[in-house]
Amino acid sequence: MSRRVVSLFAALVFTGVVQGAAVARAQSAAPAGIADQVELCSACHGEDGRPVNAETPIIWGQEEYYIYVQMKDIKAGRRASEIMSGVVADLSRDQMRALGKYFSQQPWPRLAFKAQEGDEAVANTMASAGQCAQCHLSGFDGDSRIPRAAGQTDTYLEKTMLDFKYRRRLNAPDKASLLETFSDNDIAAMARYLAALQPH
Amino acid sequence: MNAMRKGIYGFFGTALGAGLSLMLAISANAQEVMNATLYGDMGVVSQDMLNRAGSDGNNFLHTNGNYEQTRYYPARQINASNVSKLRPAWIFQTEIVETMETTPIVVNGVMYVTTAFNHVYALNAATGEQIWHYKHNMGPVTTYCCGPNNRGVAIYNDRVFMGTLDARLVALDAKTGKVLWNKEIADPELGYSETMAPTVANGKVLIGTNGGEYGIRGFVKAYDAANGDLLWTFYTTPENSVGVWATRDATGRDMLRDIAAEKAALAKMGDPYKTLGGGVWQNPAVDLATNRIFFMAGNPSPDLDGSLRPGDNLYTNSLISVDLDTGKYVCHFQYIAHDVWDLDAVSPPVLVDVKDAAGKTVPGVLHAGKTGHVYVHNRDDCSLIRFSEAMVPQENMWVLPTKDGERMLPGANGGVEWSPMAVDANLGLTYAINLHQPMTYHVESTPYPEGKLWLGGAFKVIATEEQWGNVTAVDYNTGKIRWQVKTQQPMIGGVLVTAGGLVFTGEGNGQFKAYDSETGSVLWKFQAGAGVNAPPASYTVDGKQYIVVAAGGNTQLNYKRGNNIMAFTLAE
Repeated sequence: MSRRVVSLFAALVFTGVVQGAAVARAQSAAPAGIADQVELCSACHGEDGRPVNAETPIIWGQEEYYIYVQMKDIKAGRRASEIMSGVVADLSRDQMRALGKYFSQQPWPRLAFKAQEGDEAVANTMASAGQCAQCHLSGFDGDSRIPRAAGQTDTYLEKTMLDFKYRRRLNAPDKASLLETFSDNDIAAMARYLAALQPH
Repeated sequence: MNAMRKGIYGFFGTALGAGLSLMLAISANAQEVMNATLYGDMGVVSQDMLNRAGSDGNNFLHTNGNYEQTRYYPARQINASNVSKLRPAWIFQTEIVETMETTPIVVNGVMYVTTAFNHVYALNAATGEQIWHYKHNMGPVTTYCCGPNNRGVAIYNDRVFMGTLDARLVALDAKTGKVLWNKEIADPELGYSETMAPTVANGKVLIGTNGGEYGIRGFVKAYDAANGDLLWTFYTTPENSVGVWATRDATGRDMLRDIAAEKAALAKMGDPYKTLGGGVWQNPAVDLATNRIFFMAGNPSPDLDGSLRPGDNLYTNSLISVDLDTGKYVCHFQYIAHDVWDLDAVSPPVLVDVKDAAGKTVPGVLHAGKTGHVYVHNRDDCSLIRFSEAMVPQENMWVLPTKDGERMLPGANGGVEWSPMAVDANLGLTYAINLHQPMTYHVESTPYPEGKLWLGGAFKVIATEEQWGNVTAVDYNTGKIRWQVKTQQPMIGGVLVTAGGLVFTGEGNGQFKAYDSETGSVLWKFQAGAGVNAPPASYTVDGKQYIVVAAGGNTQLNYKRGNNIMAFTLAE
């Protein structure tokens, strides 16, 4: 079954089966042990998977292992986040694994975002020079430890790349070495291009 | 399919999982390989068949054709005089539209192929019809580099074996695709993963590991084919990895090492062997006469930053030989000590008789490096006899990486990447496919970021420079290039040569071509619609010879993805 067919089928399933549910809200209840945390996460990351502000990333449908690793890194101080460091401080490894699994299983919210003219050409040149598809895969879908970037919010994407570039985010050092070779303008164009991509 | 594991599909999977499983279970029972005959079960692959694969014009039993890994196919029905009549016989489309590096394995008319994310299909090799389909139940943790690739299965007795992205070794019933055993090779959270096809010899399943871009300790392991018990482990980075403080590479060029600084670092931090890398990406060759195996160990970790790993970093970037029964070290040869360019040793070694420096014929080993040289070794002690002319431009070697980046050729993908060569011993030629992809090398020292990519900097493709590839025939008894044909794009995939005087190899732009093995003339080509970046194979069913190749594109070089297995035969 091709991805396209699965996608279509899933869309039909949602239209038919989840009809009436608030937006595309997942019906799967949070597992015992993380219900309170899920509620807390939803305050910023969104009740329906749409973040309440553009600097907060989409985590619904994000890669399970990536979500876990980020929480682990924030807890260990490898990734700085004023808000998140308090949230994860008392979480156990099992809770973080469970949260990663839970959010990865929720449907990715499709935000309508349009790139600017010329963004695609800049992004393609950057992706070719940086060999981005080697890890993020074609379509920037990500896999396991590598995050999905397609369809993420442009503000968060741009901030993340600039944080790597200017060494504000330290938990993937090779990204810093690579991104510092690109201009801020090119990074902004790449962020818009990625935000407008629809994940497969 | 990776998408099946993801958000929106997760719901679909949960809702319909039970029903689907039932359907699959029913269909799996109905679909079995049926090839028992009056003379016995033709689906069972004996050790004797594996030993004689080099002269078997019906089957294709090893990823690289035979234990010597010559990728020389002995059938000649398809040959230089009639290859212009080669046409598709069938096309099979897999479920996964992603990078394909599989070599089809063919046994008595049954073909086994794999896809990205570890699916396995058994197909009728004459018709392309599916017999069974296995999807590995992938764990959530995979830490691979360079794409979710798989390079195929190994076959022995009544079973096929596959390594997985989540670092497991799986044995499947060749008739049904049912799992017989499933073992963890290493912890994927630490950076281990599997993309290579295993090799089976004398009941042992041999497999290395990815991970040279992570802080792993590389190895080759041997498992009991019957039950998956671990028999031995050879670590590619010994506890004393310091070596002889070599300042020159295998070709005699100065690598600009600061030995004094390295010695000071060694005194301070100790031997770095535990996170030194040395992945083994490709199949070992098996020397049946001496009961030894030969394989390549890749780059040290982190790739670009030598400051954290003083010493020669043995046995990274080396040809290594160990005893098949025990895994004990026999010999090694290191091409680049203390590599900081990732110009490592990946393409699988080939065993063939060669002329030594005195002109005497001796058992040899060939390897094609990312440096762009073919290296010729004496099999007895791994020593270097000669190296070929460079097959691609080399410039500014060995400039040290800097923070702002230094341009050097070849780029870090080669030369010759993982792509296997093919050897026609009658012509004394080895065929290699190359990349020309200019890059800058950037270094930045950071400690191992716990299971994340650890390059110690960045490789950056110079987007404004032209890239291309070539197919090169090298006379391994002289080191001279016999012929060379330029291709539109950098080459990655692999080569097959046949007794019909043909060299087959594919390109990222979808072209699959046959060359005259003596002259390099292009005799046939076919547009596959997606990158042909997998090694071709050949086989014969009911008296008809086929050429088969996967066209699924490539993640590493971002060539157009597809999902096709394409078999070709001569038009009636």
